[in-house]
Amino acid sequence: MVLCNRNVQACVVWRRYCYVKGLLPPQTSLRSLNMSKDSQMRAAINQKLIEMGERERLKELLRAKLVECGWKDQLKAHCKDVIREKGLEHVTVEDLVTEVTPKGRALVPDSVKKELLQRIRAFLAQHATL
Amino acid sequence: MKMEEVSMSSLDNSKLESLAQDILSDLVEDACLGLCFEVHRAVKQGYFFLDDTDQESMRDFEIVDQPGVDVFGQVYNQWKNKECVCPNCSRSIAASRFAPHLEKCLGMGRNSSRIANRRIVTGNNTNNKSESDQEDNDDVNDNDWSYGAEKKGNANTNKAKKRKSDKNPNSPRRSKSFKHKSGGMMGPRRRMENQESPRMLMKDEAFPQ
Repeated sequence: MVLCNRNVQACVVWRRYCYVKGLLPPQTSLRSLNMSKDSQMRAAINQKLIEMGERERLKELLRAKLVECGWKDQLKAHCKDVIREKGLEHVTVEDLVTEVTPKGRALVPDSVKKELLQRIRAFLAQHATL
Repeated sequence: MKMEEVSMSSLDNSKLESLAQDILSDLVEDACLGLCFEVHRAVKQGYFFLDDTDQESMRDFEIVDQPGVDVFGQVYNQWKNKECVCPNCSRSIAASRFAPHLEKCLGMGRNSSRIANRRIVTGNNTNNKSESDQEDNDDVNDNDWSYGAEKKGNANTNKAKKRKSDKNPNSPRRSKSFKHKSGGMMGPRRRMENQESPRMLMKDEAFPQ
């Protein structure tokens, strides 16, 4: 995590504020401060995403696009192979997850990724600067 | 909240970008998990392999990919080269042209009646050309009867038929009024038999002949 020069002053000020308020343990370095601030920010954004219903919409959009581009069928065929390998009776969720998830990540087409990223960035641009 | 503002303003593009990527990978993982759960349930409930067909049927109905044959394995242009003999004129006609030829040959189609009619008109004109020179002038000025077909002479039998030859004989967009006026002239069989009988125009009773 790189500290932005223009924000160092702000961080210093905030750190003092937190010390004073008892929100931070003493001797907290700026670096770790930045990280926790970061994760706080992320948590805040994620919460906003959920609260505004945007995450659900994004999930539905992703699902629809993956079905459209044939990703789901591809992965289902892969599942069939896994199941035949492990035996129909003994398949567990963990088996499927460990086999399927890496392949699933790799198979997502770039166009789908691009489109979703666009929407996420738009959301962040709108709501992360408030 | 001041704290919030400070933390938000410390964002720069790379952080935003990495955040967006993280959100995306979370979503993709959700989708993968969703699929896994769906598949696992289908397996445990026993309907996962339900839409598969057995290997033998798959081979039977496989898509055919040979030249000259369609995807089902049927030959699709086998009627191209066959020839039929027309029962009317005893000519050998290609199979795909057979139906239209038969229509014209027997005089039973929509167009065949028009074509025959046209031939009659032109046939009569060439026959009576020498006679009609003197009568032509009268007929040209006779606007009551001839419906735009002043060029062709012969007031008698062909008057009612004259206007048909002016318009495109094959166009389906003939005005209905003409059809009614002609009073059954469109019937092909009737025309073949009653070529020479005089035709009275039914519309104009004010001008008795």
